[in-house]
Amino acid sequence: MNMTEPMFLALTALVDEPRHGYGIVQEVDRLSEGRVQLKIGTLYGVLDRLAAAGLVALDREEARQGRLRRYYRLTDEGARALQEEAARMAATAEAATARLRARTAGGAA
Amino acid sequence: MSPSAHSLGRPGAPGDGPKGRMSLLERRYRSVLRLLPASYRAEREEEMVDAFMEMSGDVPDELSPRPRWGEIASVLALAVRSRLGGTGAPPHLFAWGETVRLVALLGLAHQAMGGLYTGVELLRTLVFGAEQSYAGAPGSFERLVAVVVSVSALCSTVAFVAIIRGHVRTAKVTAVVGAAPTLVYTLIPMILAGPVTDRPLSEPATLVFTVVPVLALLLGFHGDVAPRRRPWALALAPAAAGLAVLGGMWLLLALRLPDAGWLYLWLDLGTAIPVWAAGAVVVLTRPATPSWALAMSATGLLLLMVRLTGLGGLPDGPMWATACAQCALLWALAVPLAWAGARRLPSPAPQP
Repeated sequence: MNMTEPMFLALTALVDEPRHGYGIVQEVDRLSEGRVQLKIGTLYGVLDRLAAAGLVALDREEARQGRLRRYYRLTDEGARALQEEAARMAATAEAATARLRARTAGGAA
Repeated sequence: MSPSAHSLGRPGAPGDGPKGRMSLLERRYRSVLRLLPASYRAEREEEMVDAFMEMSGDVPDELSPRPRWGEIASVLALAVRSRLGGTGAPPHLFAWGETVRLVALLGLAHQAMGGLYTGVELLRTLVFGAEQSYAGAPGSFERLVAVVVSVSALCSTVAFVAIIRGHVRTAKVTAVVGAAPTLVYTLIPMILAGPVTDRPLSEPATLVFTVVPVLALLLGFHGDVAPRRRPWALALAPAAAGLAVLGGMWLLLALRLPDAGWLYLWLDLGTAIPVWAAGAVVVLTRPATPSWALAMSATGLLLLMVRLTGLGGLPDGPMWATACAQCALLWALAVPLAWAGARRLPSPAPQP
């Protein structure tokens, strides 16, 4: 599955604890330092795809002010997928950093 | 619709926020959510409303609050994805999604055919100096326009090959470029000339005929649809048909048959009609999916629309009779296809 940035951030938001819809929106906003602000329609599109791939699952349901609140948790498969994606991104970032370092060193020499 | 919304299970205690005490913002957001399929709303509406209201906070009705455009757009995008279901969607939504995707493929196949022979004609003009009237004198503005239009038309051919080979993004970009000349040619005169009623009906018909497959491509092939790589033979079939049409046209011109104008009605759009009719008969006589029947019906009606609106410009006699016969053939097959498709559509799952 092609993991988009909102999917990656939503999975990351669920690493430490199960969260409900708006909880994920808030955590994604914090993780991305305000750069990614999920709309509700976008969030549920992301959750649909993650749940279809078995990367998140329903944790529990609560009733709040007469409305349904669902909490989602990261599955083991989701944790593995996130780890693989994070490793891939880290390797890419490391390659970029190494090249930039070499460029700086070349310029200084 | 995503399968996950179902796989997550029904809520145990759906919020039944007393409608009497529901805020104006909540009521308006719930109205926006009506864009979503009923089956999706049955699963998701309450928690989406909860998330939205928590995000919005308490806003007094006196301020006449409305959901922001960004929120509405996100629900609209979700609605398109849900209604034009991809892999794993409920059967009836998947059938509608497949219908739209087939309309895109069939429509683009025709545009690909036209794109190829437009490109070949231009090449013939540029290289051999044939048909100066087609592309204007060398160095003229007309020549520049002809080159731009032909290259754009060729993009439709690229779009078809790209979507058949599973390159969705390339297909979308090139399909839009391919449709651009038609948009410019038909929309600008319509805008400049005032009311649409003053223009020949064939112009909006051509516009619809060109734009519908492109829109179907843009909407139908969304993120929930796994790109599929089909055989090269299929990808190149419209190109071969385009060359055959071109050969037929050259042959007719070379033969200089008297009173052969009606034969030209079997070229270009006219070539698509018998091919479509043969496909329609296959779909009607074999146990095809509802999506094939509905998509064939939709494309048949598009062809019919273009032919009907062009009838007024045809001279009486064999040409007019030929066009009428084509319209009759299209109507006679498109209607049973729609009926067969509607009958074969899976029923939506009953809502509790």
